[in-house]
Amino acid sequence: MSKLKETVLNPIFKGNPITVLILGICSSLAVTVELKGACVMALSVTIVTAVSSLICSIIRKTIPNRVRIIVQLVVVALMVILVDQVLKAFAFAVSKQLSVYIGLIITNCIVMGRIEAFALGNKPIPSFLDGLANGLGYGLILIIVAFFRELLGSGTLFGIPVLSAIGYTNNGLMILPPMALILLGCVVWVQRSIDKTLQEK
Amino acid sequence: MNTNNNVYTVIYTTVICVLVAAILAFVSQSLKPMQQANEKAETISQILTAAKFSDKESLAQQSNQQIIETFKTELDHSALVNAEGKEVKRLGQDEVYSTSDLKAQNYKFADGSYEIPVYIFKNGTHVFPVYGAGLWGPIWGYIAVDKSLTHIVGAYFDHASETPGLGGKIKDDPAFRASFEGKELDLASNHSFEIVKGGAPAGRSNAIDAITGATMTSKGLDAAINDWVGAFKNYIKAAEEE
Repeated sequence: MSKLKETVLNPIFKGNPITVLILGICSSLAVTVELKGACVMALSVTIVTAVSSLICSIIRKTIPNRVRIIVQLVVVALMVILVDQVLKAFAFAVSKQLSVYIGLIITNCIVMGRIEAFALGNKPIPSFLDGLANGLGYGLILIIVAFFRELLGSGTLFGIPVLSAIGYTNNGLMILPPMALILLGCVVWVQRSIDKTLQEK
Repeated sequence: MNTNNNVYTVIYTTVICVLVAAILAFVSQSLKPMQQANEKAETISQILTAAKFSDKESLAQQSNQQIIETFKTELDHSALVNAEGKEVKRLGQDEVYSTSDLKAQNYKFADGSYEIPVYIFKNGTHVFPVYGAGLWGPIWGYIAVDKSLTHIVGAYFDHASETPGLGGKIKDDPAFRASFEGKELDLASNHSFEIVKGGAPAGRSNAIDAITGATMTSKGLDAAINDWVGAFKNYIKAAEEE
């Protein structure tokens, strides 16, 4: 049981896909301008990693070794298109805002990385939890970065005026991608100060 | 079981692909009506934004039904216009041409067999669609003119895949959209509206500044506007003579 617990907790802090494994940086720069978009992206990636890990784990013994990457790709692509289609039908404004980034989940290293590294060698339930936890770890960082970018860049949270209501002048730099990278660096810094074992010699 | 032999591999990949294709086809078919309704509401809200009846942000909060209702109340009628500038057909009160409809008509510009929509509002505002190629994919939008049919009152543009922060500004930068307001379409010239790289000369009533860092998108939008305004030329002239 403690192994399952570790599977779930490790990716959220100690083995966080963004700040420790440095995977999925590209999309975390792109979709963190607003909290709403970041939340939908976090949710979408979590669903995609969890379910595609589950499916790949179920069929792991039948997959021919030589085409395993292709099979993984097909499964991930299926999930991504499903998420995209569902968003277009039920959350059109959000899907327009995220535009190409939903389709680009497929190129997010976290998804394929977890399938290749974990799901192909483990039973379905741990694989599902691993995918879920990695998605959540990714989402957590996304939401932290988006929180500061939206608050300081637009003065709002979820589109509701917070700082702008008390006369704050928006910082335009926060909206631009470079600031996301700097904020991400700050998150990595804070995390490595808390857990010294993550520091490289 | 030996999962590595060729026959197994071929059969396995075939089955997986067919299965996945079937799932996708089914989902796509069952979600299509909802997606089309969303796209229609999106098109209508772009037209309403261009015509200054509302703005995109407040329309985004409204339901599809409310958006269509606003459109129906404000609209006088929509018509299809041909190359001679005649209204050949009237559209229904809540009927709009989707992006793919505009694309289909754009192909017919070469032989002049097009029939393109103009949305005429009760206050005299006419909204012309435009469609063309940006840098990475299609761009389209709506230009609203007042009763004179040459004085621009508003515009809205959208794109499929322009670079966010550069070409994407045709949609995201309110200042770019606002720079169209108060400008004129100069029908006497072949280049009836110009988006000028390096900045429009002061005093030109039919030119605006291009977007910095987005030369190709600006050029594409310039071409799209001139193609479509050109296609409407006879219609605008006929209305002026009346």
